[in-house]
Amino acid sequence: MKAHRIVAVMARHAYEARRNVDRVTDTVYWPVLDVVMWGFFTTYLGHGLGMQPDVIKFVLSAIIIWGLFYSFQRDLAVGFLDELWSRNLINLFSTPLTISEYMTGLICVNVAKAMVGVGAASLLALAAYHFNIFPWLPGFVPYLINLILFAFALGIMITGLIFRYTTKIQALAWSFAGLLAPISCVLYPVKSLPPWLREIAWTLPTTYSFEGMRQLLAGGGFNPHLFWYGLVLNVFYFVFAIGVFKVVFAAAQNRGLLVKLE
Amino acid sequence: MLVQVENLSKRFDTFTAVNGVSFRVERGEIVGMLGPNGAGKTTTIQMILGLITPTSGEIRIFGKSMATHREEILQRMNFSSPYVAFPFRMTVHENLSVFARLYGIKEPQRRIGEWLERFDVAKLRDKPIARLSSGENTRVGLAKAMLNDPELLLLDEPTAYLDPEIARQVKEQLLEANRDRGMTILYTSHNMAEVEQLCSQIVFLNHGRVIAIGSPIEITHAILKEERDEPALEEVFLRVAREARG
Repeated sequence: MKAHRIVAVMARHAYEARRNVDRVTDTVYWPVLDVVMWGFFTTYLGHGLGMQPDVIKFVLSAIIIWGLFYSFQRDLAVGFLDELWSRNLINLFSTPLTISEYMTGLICVNVAKAMVGVGAASLLALAAYHFNIFPWLPGFVPYLINLILFAFALGIMITGLIFRYTTKIQALAWSFAGLLAPISCVLYPVKSLPPWLREIAWTLPTTYSFEGMRQLLAGGGFNPHLFWYGLVLNVFYFVFAIGVFKVVFAAAQNRGLLVKLE
Repeated sequence: MLVQVENLSKRFDTFTAVNGVSFRVERGEIVGMLGPNGAGKTTTIQMILGLITPTSGEIRIFGKSMATHREEILQRMNFSSPYVAFPFRMTVHENLSVFARLYGIKEPQRRIGEWLERFDVAKLRDKPIARLSSGENTRVGLAKAMLNDPELLLLDEPTAYLDPEIARQVKEQLLEANRDRGMTILYTSHNMAEVEQLCSQIVFLNHGRVIAIGSPIEITHAILKEERDEPALEEVFLRVAREARG
């Protein structure tokens, strides 16, 4: 892999982010809007209904961290869709750029974009609802790593499917994480789910991360089991996603889809 | 030998787009690839660029196999087509900066400025691609194709959207690059006069097969099957296209 080609992909998407209002909306608008809405709701729960004041801590941290996961997954696929929509694929892949350099560049630029979104949402939570997530973040790091790895695995797999099935399935870029949200137990513990759904929930690294972060917020400390189980699942999903991507990319080259996608 | 294409074939399910194509391009040549629509020109170029995997056959460029030395080969060549676009919200300069980085070019600003100037689009430097005309877009694409000073340049109908005067300027730039830098050019076009003027060799394709290879006058003799003093590629093309339609 050549660093200058990875930097080129980052520059391409950084320019796009600067000039495309859609990308600004994705990066900042939705995470901030989520915090505004859930902030009011938890304020109502805490003060209006007399529930534990801690409820704001659990809900807002979950919403901010879910926003991070969702934007990683979505932006990886949308970044690739940007190449399709602008009919830039032939130009890109007729250079020495390799697919692994392209994906690495896309991942790097999405890390930066997600940090901007999380930063904006966290600052708003602090300013408007006096919830400071920053002291909790160092403790969250192991769980965040698991969330980010899973988001990448999903993003890579969805990007691969878009290579193969083109823009016909582009809605997956925005919708797939949403499908996982209810069973990832973002806002409630796993025990809230019906027993049969719990079994499915425990197959997702996201569930382990959110359970772990809730334990931390409740004062229960770091739970290594939740981290390691999540990591093992991530290794499986990551290897699976890369395998799917390689097969699908080779099939796309063989069928001439890189060219027809234009 | 700069390009060596041996028995190249590409099948898409039951349709054979390219069928046993072989040809060679020597260093410093300008070679035209001609043929009616659906003859297999674009598929052949896309296989040479590594965008499509051949069903069988081999492509060797700079003496190396495209299948195993893709990065190394693509670093030394480039491609332009008016049918391929750039990200339209980004400016001309931003787009070219990205490609300069992809090729790891030294002094990218100087190279970008030089080629924008040569193709007479320097004044468009800070305009978004979306605001350019087709002809301006084509010239930006050509500037992109020259950024890495390629030894081999693949051009797919480079003058398709250009008015005659701009087309003349572009041809002059290409000839100059060929003459002064020894740039080898593989060129597809439907403008037969242009091909006669630029190309020393022609590969004529029809139904995915090579039907003739040679200089414009040799191609004229081979396909029209009569003696001529001057090349008559327009006539050759019309004959092949009519026969292709049956």
